[in-house]
Amino acid sequence: MQIREYNLRLPRYRKRWQAFMEHNGIHEFGQAELAPIEKTYVWEEDGELAATGSIAGKVLKYVAVCEKFKDGGALFNQVVSHLVNEEASRGRFHLLVFTKPKYVKSFGYVGFKPLAQTDQGAFLESGTPGVSDYLANLPHFERGKTAAIVMNANPFTKGHRALVEKASAENDQVYLFVVQADRSVFTFAERFDLVKQGVSDLTNVVVVPGGDYMVSSATFPAYFLKSDQEIGAYQAELDATIFRDSIAKPLHITARYLGEEPTSKTTAAYNAALSAVLAPQVAVKIIPRHTEAGEIVSATTVRQAILAGDQDQLARLLPPTTLTFVKENFADLQARIQKKGSK
Amino acid sequence: MEIKQTALAGTLESSDIQITLSQGSNGIQIELDSSVEALYGPQIKQVITTTLQAAGIDNTQVKAVDKGALDCVIKARTLAAAQRALGTVDEPNWEVL
Repeated sequence: MQIREYNLRLPRYRKRWQAFMEHNGIHEFGQAELAPIEKTYVWEEDGELAATGSIAGKVLKYVAVCEKFKDGGALFNQVVSHLVNEEASRGRFHLLVFTKPKYVKSFGYVGFKPLAQTDQGAFLESGTPGVSDYLANLPHFERGKTAAIVMNANPFTKGHRALVEKASAENDQVYLFVVQADRSVFTFAERFDLVKQGVSDLTNVVVVPGGDYMVSSATFPAYFLKSDQEIGAYQAELDATIFRDSIAKPLHITARYLGEEPTSKTTAAYNAALSAVLAPQVAVKIIPRHTEAGEIVSATTVRQAILAGDQDQLARLLPPTTLTFVKENFADLQARIQKKGSK
Repeated sequence: MEIKQTALAGTLESSDIQITLSQGSNGIQIELDSSVEALYGPQIKQVITTTLQAAGIDNTQVKAVDKGALDCVIKARTLAAAQRALGTVDEPNWEVL
């Protein structure tokens, strides 16, 4: 058995690898899935592919072992072992896997713990800091009604503010999770800061990072695509299951507030999945979109207004804290939006 | 001695053990995954603990995924992980073994 590195950007390797994956029942090769891959390794026996696995950040991807090999279990362990060591040499010790339910057991044998499982997919993690370390770093509330909001806030608008105000008024305390994946025009640090400033007067709201567990790019690459694209409904379902079982339950969260989504297909599908999965353990409250002078407030509109340089519109859509930041970094933001497209 | 960085040693192949050490403040805490845990769990933990103490580590979180490793392998992997975690790979402490 020989280990080789494959460069998937070269068509002949890509073709060979993809044929092997399809033979083993994996058929998703979208750009969102492939682009983050850093390294792909294959195991060859007499010039034939026997197994493969890839790493993409802290995520192990496209792990497959051909059924023909009798000691498939040992080969599987060898593949995961190699990937884990590669990750360790890059200083990554907290790893995530998104896979089919039938492989949960195999990953379990090599130290991965399932965080959520649906009929179509499963999400596992291994190493430190894991979900228990993440939860330990959050404030805990023993009494009263606790609600949660998850937002990307790219950037924080008056619409976000209205949603938080409503949750704050209706509950004793509110967790405000800010999506941590850095794939948006505004960086995580900027978004987190603007959310914090924007709700600083609401004393029962705690702003916390979403970690790898909320709309993680590991489970949910489609969220970060353009909004006209269809998302895998099962990914949204998985994300909702993680929230219900690994986050809401230990933190005693009984309600999650969502903004109604009339324009973005991705978010609309995500909201639908959340409503289906979270109830009855967690009540889902969908709040109608906030409007300013008849205009729907959305972060997408804000980004378009920045690109167009429409100062009046920005003043209408943004709270003073975000507005100040946008004004100070106007040229830089325009350049970033131009580069990224509207997302 | 204090752990400077999280470190890993070993593989997940048969007869090996994978040891990950990360910072801890509450003594030596071991999380063990092993198919022979019911039989050898206490002994595996004992070997890891003794080796870590000999290497001068008193506070750490250990994650061990065992695939049926013998004691000598457990010792070697633990020591390798310890030296990587302490940043003393260039000055091996042979007496620990």
